[in-house]
Order: sequence, then C-alpha cells, then structure tokens
Amino acid sequence: MVERSFEAELESLFARAPPFADADLFTARVTGRLDRGWAWRRLIIGTLGLAGGLIGGLEMLRAGVFVRFDAFGLAGKLVLEDMSRLPAARGLSELLTSGNTFDGRLLWMSGTMALLAAGLLVTRGLREF
Amino acid sequence: MAQALAHVLAHRASAHDLDLVALAMTGDRGAFGELVRRHASGVRALLRRMGADPATADDIAQDAFLTAYEEIAEFRGEGAFSAWVRRIAARLYLRRWRKEARQALALQEDAELGETSTGTPGPDIRLDLDEALKTLTPSERMCVSLCYGAGLSHAEAALALNTPLGTVKSHVKRGLDRLRARMVAQTADADEERTSHG
Repeated sequence: MVERSFEAELESLFARAPPFADADLFTARVTGRLDRGWAWRRLIIGTLGLAGGLIGGLEMLRAGVFVRFDAFGLAGKLVLEDMSRLPAARGLSELLTSGNTFDGRLLWMSGTMALLAAGLLVTRGLREF
Repeated sequence: MAQALAHVLAHRASAHDLDLVALAMTGDRGAFGELVRRHASGVRALLRRMGADPATADDIAQDAFLTAYEEIAEFRGEGAFSAWVRRIAARLYLRRWRKEARQALALQEDAELGETSTGTPGPDIRLDLDEALKTLTPSERMCVSLCYGAGLSHAEAALALNTPLGTVKSHVKRGLDRLRARMVAQTADADEERTSHG
C-alpha cells in the first residue's frame, strides 16, 4: 500500500514538468523545422514532377510516339469508315466521327490528359503518404 | 462536423488535445504547434531526468515532436497525447544512448556504487525529483524514468534497453529504494527547518 502510494507519487512528480524560460522559443523552433521540412518536401516533389514531365515528354518526342499516335488515329478513322458501311454500326461510328474530331489530335490530348492525371495522382499520393 | 472543426480552429488554445490531434492529422501545423506548446516542457524534463544534458535533451525533444507529427496517424487516442510523445522521446534518447555506448560505462558505475540503504516514505511526500534522480546510477535513473516518466512497463523497458527483464526490475527496485531514502532525508530536513524557524 505504502509502496503503491510512493509509486503513484513518483508518477505524479514525473508528470509535473518544471517551467522552462525558453518554452516559446522551443515551440517556435519545432514549428519552424516543421514548416521548413514541408517547404523542402513540396519543392522536391515539384522539382521531381517537373523533371519527370520534361524527361517523359522528351522521350515521347524522341520515340516518335506522336507520329505513331497520328498513324493509329488514321487507322482508327479508316476502321470507323469501314464500320459506317455496316448498317448496325452506323449510329456508333457517326457518333464517334461527328464534327470530324476523331483524329490523331484527339488521341494526343487524351494521352496527355491521362499522363497529367497520373502525375497529379502520384504527387498527391506522395504528399499524403 | 464542419462547424465543430471551425470552432476548434478558432479556439485552438482551449481545444482538447484530441481535437488538436485530429486537426494535425489533416495537416494543420498550427494545431500541432499548440500541442508542442502544451507538452514540450514535459518531454524536455523527462529527457533531462533520464540523464540527457540540456542541449541533447532539447535536440531529442525537437526530433520527438517532428517524429510525432510524421506518425500522427498512428496515434489512436487510447492514451494521452503527452504520454505518446514522451514514449517517442524516450525511445529516441535510448537509441542515442546505446549508440554512444554509455550503457557499458553505466554498468561499470553500477558495479562500483553497489547497494545502498532503504527507507520508508513519510506521509507528506515532498521531493525535488530532479535532485533526487542525480543520486541514482545512470542505469537506475534510466529504468526509473522509463517506467515512471515515460510510462513503459518493465517488459517494454527491457525490450527498449535490450536488457534482461530481471536486470531492469532490479535497477528499478534499487532506484526506487534510493529515491525513497532521499525523500525521507529531504522530508526530515524540511521538518527540521520548519521547527527551527517556528
């Protein structure tokens, strides 16, 4: 019983912290380090994202991906034109080719948007986890 | 929910720790700053009581709060935030303590100091803990601080110190005996002083 009260008293003594004259300075140092850490993290993520985007874009240019997309778009257009000759598929092909928009540029834009979306997702994921 | 959050944001200084933790989890560094303001003294004092010099204690206390912010999602609110961050600080200090190979030195000192007498606590327990802890060997001080300051069980302390459970128990027992003896002496001194002035 005496032992328990002594241990309880000891715990309570440990819980009582003496006041520190530089308490505010300490808090400012911790929050400062926290802010600096996040600023660095944002900078690193941004730089990596930019570098990744530039490298990816250059690699795509070098590999002639856009030319291939163009060719793919042309092939798709031909397929759709063939399909349009079939009565059952006419409705769908008309929908896809309406306004003459289904060409290589549409594929480029879709691909770029998908890439951007993936980049944003990765950036967000890095920030959260 | 949004209104409650807005209220907490507007009254951070009076908000409960758990509300501030919830805000910190969303990335609110201001809320975490309030938690630091509230609990920094406790963490700094614990580290000094464990035997860290003031500069080291402050470095580790800062690291402990930064670690706490990074790992805030792991805080489940089952205990007090202050206890959680103290445990983090104690573990960080232990890591450094081990790295500096002080443990070997401490064990050597233990052997030199040997056993001391014990006493019985008086009813009016008044103790200058910081002064009393200085009479303990580093290992006793570490074990007592871990168990009574950081809230670790004997088994957890043994695991953290990488020391057999029996050794931790004996360090704690000897440490408590020394503190108790010191406390009795302090109480007697205080009584004597009161009588002489009365």
